[in-house]
Amino acid sequence: MASYHPQLELLTEYAAGCLSLAQSSCIAAHLNYCGECQRGVIQLQNIGAALFEVQDPAVAGDALLDRVLKRLDEAAPLCYSRPRRSEGATPALLQRLMTGDFSDLPWRKVTEALRISYLRTGDPNYEFALYHIKAGGEIPDHDHHGSEMTLVLEGGFSDDRGTYNTGDFIYRRANEQHAPRALPDQDCLCLAVLDAPLKFTSWKYRWMNPFLRLHAG
Amino acid sequence: MNETKGKPATAWPAPGRRTDEWSECLVLIAEKHDRAAFSRLFRHFAPLIKAFALSGSTMSANHADELVQEVMLKVWQKAAAFNPEKAAASTWVYTIARNCRTDLFRRLQKFDTPLSAEDFSPEQESEEPFALLQSKRSGDRIREMMAGLPADQMQILAKVYMEGKSHAEAAAELDLPLGTVKSRVRLAIQKLQVQFERA
Repeated sequence: MASYHPQLELLTEYAAGCLSLAQSSCIAAHLNYCGECQRGVIQLQNIGAALFEVQDPAVAGDALLDRVLKRLDEAAPLCYSRPRRSEGATPALLQRLMTGDFSDLPWRKVTEALRISYLRTGDPNYEFALYHIKAGGEIPDHDHHGSEMTLVLEGGFSDDRGTYNTGDFIYRRANEQHAPRALPDQDCLCLAVLDAPLKFTSWKYRWMNPFLRLHAG
Repeated sequence: MNETKGKPATAWPAPGRRTDEWSECLVLIAEKHDRAAFSRLFRHFAPLIKAFALSGSTMSANHADELVQEVMLKVWQKAAAFNPEKAAASTWVYTIARNCRTDLFRRLQKFDTPLSAEDFSPEQESEEPFALLQSKRSGDRIREMMAGLPADQMQILAKVYMEGKSHAEAAAELDLPLGTVKSRVRLAIQKLQVQFERA
């Protein structure tokens, strides 16, 4: 049961379909853990539907109708059918971005406690990455030039503002500095969506910054 | 669109009968592959889908027609998945149109992605009759109350939902502070009684 949720404005943009692909993926993954937000998003979609109904109609005449009628017998394209939502399982959307399991992904060691694996969403503006933090381990102090969405997939972490568990969603804006630490009893797996590379602020890790360019796409 | 220009008095559909006509069409399509029902549905929704395609965007008329075809073909192919107890027909058509438009924009921007907008749509998780009724009632309530929203709030909802603009883009276009845009959206959503259980 999640206790940290996306803000209303993010859910609204998500429901309206105007949020970026990578950020939408992160919100969709949160909905997998959160029935409340899921029901809220369905209501927010109803706003779109109500506006859609009362638009001034454009002209779509019978020539267009005839073109569609001629195509009705086309076979429907094969379509991926979604598995039923199951509590605790890896969000279906993430599974579509990976082959195999989390353990099959190429992981890159950043520090003793932190490994990162980049997933490809096709969104050229955002990095979409999995962070694996060892139990009790810390991500060195860092800040962001851009925004950062984080979703806890397994375990949990804490920073100066709170403790976050599986399903929790955290959104940080540019230039907010923090040093998250995984909870002591379990390794933590998070999804992070960034629009600018993170930047370590502690002198010990600053030398790594040039290597942390944005892995978008 | 400027702020003072009021929309002409719109015929707000009554939540009862009129929506049912389109639900019936969808059921006829699903069960009998009824082309006459499809044509009726097309004449009602195609002009709305096209208006949605063209609103606030740079989409060409050709692409808008392409979108209408794509959405209406999906309506034909997926009619069996429509459940009149879950949602109004127009909500169902709108969601398909929104997804197809998002995908078309991404194709036009040459995104190479394994995901389609459909992957993001939340499924109604509960099939329990009470929850379904609640969700449908919320839809009806939103339709009724929308007419009473102040023009400045309507304008921003239209930017976000119909034109597909983010809050930041809407703020830039209307030359308003981002905070004002956000609070107008928040107020509108409150007035429409969209409730989050935690709130």
